[in-house]
Amino acid sequence: MSMKAAGTRVLTAALLACAFHGTVMAETSRQGMVAGVSREEALRLGERMYREGILPSGEPLKAIVKGDIPMTGNQFTCANCHQRSGFGSLEGTVRTPPINSAQLYAPLSKFKGVPVSRRSALVRETELYRPAYTDETLARAMRTGLDPAGRQMSTTMPIYFLSDRDMDILVFYLKNLSTGSEAGVTDTALRFATVITGEVSTADREAMLAPLQYYISNWRISRQMEQSARAGGFVQEGEARELRRLSLSVWELKGPAETWRAQLEEYYRKEPVFALLGGITTGEWAPVHKFCEDHKVPAIFPITDFPVISGSGGPTFYLSKGLYQEGEAAARFLHRKEDLLKEIPILQVFRNDRAGRILSKAFEETWTSLGHAAPENRVLAGGEAPAADFWKKLDEKSKHRVVLLWLDSSSFPALENLARSRSLPDVVVLSSSLLGNRLYSLPDKQRQSVYLTYPYSLPQDSRAYKANIETALKKNNIPITNPDITFKMYSLFSMLTGPLSRMRTYVYRDYFIELLEATPDLSVIPVTYPRLSFGTGQRYASKGCYIVQLTDGPRPELVKRSEWIIQ
Amino acid sequence: MHRKQTMLLLYLLLTSLCLLSEAWAGRDKTYQRTLENYEVPDVTLINQDGVKVSLRKLLFSDKPVLVDFVYTSCTTICPVLSINFANYQKTIIEERGATQLVSISIDPEFDTPKAMKAYLKRYNAEPGWDFLTGSRDDISRVLKAFKVYTQNKMNHYPVILLKSPSDTRWVRVYGLIGTSELLVEYEKVRK
Repeated sequence: MSMKAAGTRVLTAALLACAFHGTVMAETSRQGMVAGVSREEALRLGERMYREGILPSGEPLKAIVKGDIPMTGNQFTCANCHQRSGFGSLEGTVRTPPINSAQLYAPLSKFKGVPVSRRSALVRETELYRPAYTDETLARAMRTGLDPAGRQMSTTMPIYFLSDRDMDILVFYLKNLSTGSEAGVTDTALRFATVITGEVSTADREAMLAPLQYYISNWRISRQMEQSARAGGFVQEGEARELRRLSLSVWELKGPAETWRAQLEEYYRKEPVFALLGGITTGEWAPVHKFCEDHKVPAIFPITDFPVISGSGGPTFYLSKGLYQEGEAAARFLHRKEDLLKEIPILQVFRNDRAGRILSKAFEETWTSLGHAAPENRVLAGGEAPAADFWKKLDEKSKHRVVLLWLDSSSFPALENLARSRSLPDVVVLSSSLLGNRLYSLPDKQRQSVYLTYPYSLPQDSRAYKANIETALKKNNIPITNPDITFKMYSLFSMLTGPLSRMRTYVYRDYFIELLEATPDLSVIPVTYPRLSFGTGQRYASKGCYIVQLTDGPRPELVKRSEWIIQ
Repeated sequence: MHRKQTMLLLYLLLTSLCLLSEAWAGRDKTYQRTLENYEVPDVTLINQDGVKVSLRKLLFSDKPVLVDFVYTSCTTICPVLSINFANYQKTIIEERGATQLVSISIDPEFDTPKAMKAYLKRYNAEPGWDFLTGSRDDISRVLKAFKVYTQNKMNHYPVILLKSPSDTRWVRVYGLIGTSELLVEYEKVRK
């Protein structure tokens, strides 16, 4: 054996001993505490520093970035770049390395930054990039930018000014970051559930459930990866347990919405799940949303017209803001029609039901936020149809040149009456989601002044794609009982496949959410929506809404009168 | 003779200083600097106050202009670019308003005027720093014109563009830089 080889072996053995020591140390000190602070309190304070950039004193963290730029924790935080899970991020050419406990407290080889302790024997002997962090070297890294090998890290990593106690808390938090196990996850299985509320029709239920069950039972990792794993070949850290099988439970919620929470708790207690996929209700999703928030359960693309509208970035990801998005778009569209609007009074007519309330609220909130006076509201009682002389009376007042009619297809005869009235308002806005296919039978006379909110890809743009998907579904014997719902499920699968594959063995909810947030914009196949996109904290994938009009004639088409996004 | 020796010493000192400074610059220079010609499209965008802005008017005024491309829900690149703009504004405080800073959103769907205004506030932006959004088509045209277009916003570039009012060319700085580096580039542009 040459001296060099012997030297290498000794060095390797020493490094492995260090690695082992590092792991043991990490395990031991993970149990350790910050002096004078309970474990829970230390984790809470550490999380606030890491995620919100706020010190235990309530002051923002202070740091220097890029060598000479002073910054504070309320401008950006550790979690901005390293993410809540600590698994890091990749943005263009800028890579932020993982800093979860397992990565920090293990030595790192030069090969793809994989912890040495978890590598196959073959790769274990490769040169170290850095030894495992200790509490001391971790604190030094945050204060000086030096890694445990004494190497200066990128100056994009800020240098922090922290007291010893605050540093101890942050180190303790990092030591515990993404270390636990998640509900619904075993070495061989990953469990999901889907929620269906009692009033949903059988056809709609099947339209949501059949493609989802097909997707779950046919989930496969790449053939090459599977063969390699089964043959016992070299498997990179993070891949082995991708062989987990997915399973899906169906959680049916019965009775009034007030009882749903208890039912959800009971389902969750009996069979904890990693996340909720799809799901459907004709009512509000709020009780399920709240349940997911409280248990930190990700929920991806429930089908509902009434998502919870919030900017707080919880674990529920919606396809869109539902009806709220239409009211919002109407306000922005009218705001930009400066030629038409010189503070002309606006009238909203809606029923006192969920749809009417949401549409009118969305319009009013957006309209007033744009600096306009609140619209006048005329609320029809639950089942009330506009009276025969409703439009006539409106006509006599004739001050409302812009009328928003948030009414569904049952009010259609009343809309036809409007067409016969003496003078139409200049602009009538209707919701295409409420009218459904009846919108195509609007009388010719109305079409000049009627504008419709249309929060979907235009039929002429999506027809061919939908036909292809229908063919594929039929080939696999998946019934299409409600195409609109089935196509929304297609959006779910388009969004889900990337994160599910990329999560590999790092099956943590925060990481799953981060991978969803980092999914590239989907705009290539505009099936239901022209574009689906996320970003950190974004929770509504489709953000636009066309304002359209109908062409003349017996077979009208929709013509865009606005951009998809109306600023 | 004595004079000659002094001159030689001075020469050696200067040469080594130059070499040192070059080595220093070479070691620390973490960005690429190129001179570019761009055909800026004639588009109207919307600023953080919801006001329509002609991009050409904003970029071709009598002020030096700095441009970057960011989005409000970005992870790493944008916060570092933006904190640099903020620090730059603070650093040249005696010349407040002398430079026009422009951030152009690469995520117009999410970046409404309201979101952009909150973002500027987070970075304590002073007047003279505008954040622009617009229609997807207009934004794409702008990004393509400045050669920073990517189909996926998460693959975007860490780029700052600088232009003097007296020059038609743009300085393109590629890479995340500190304020001192930005000031060096700014001084070069101002000359």
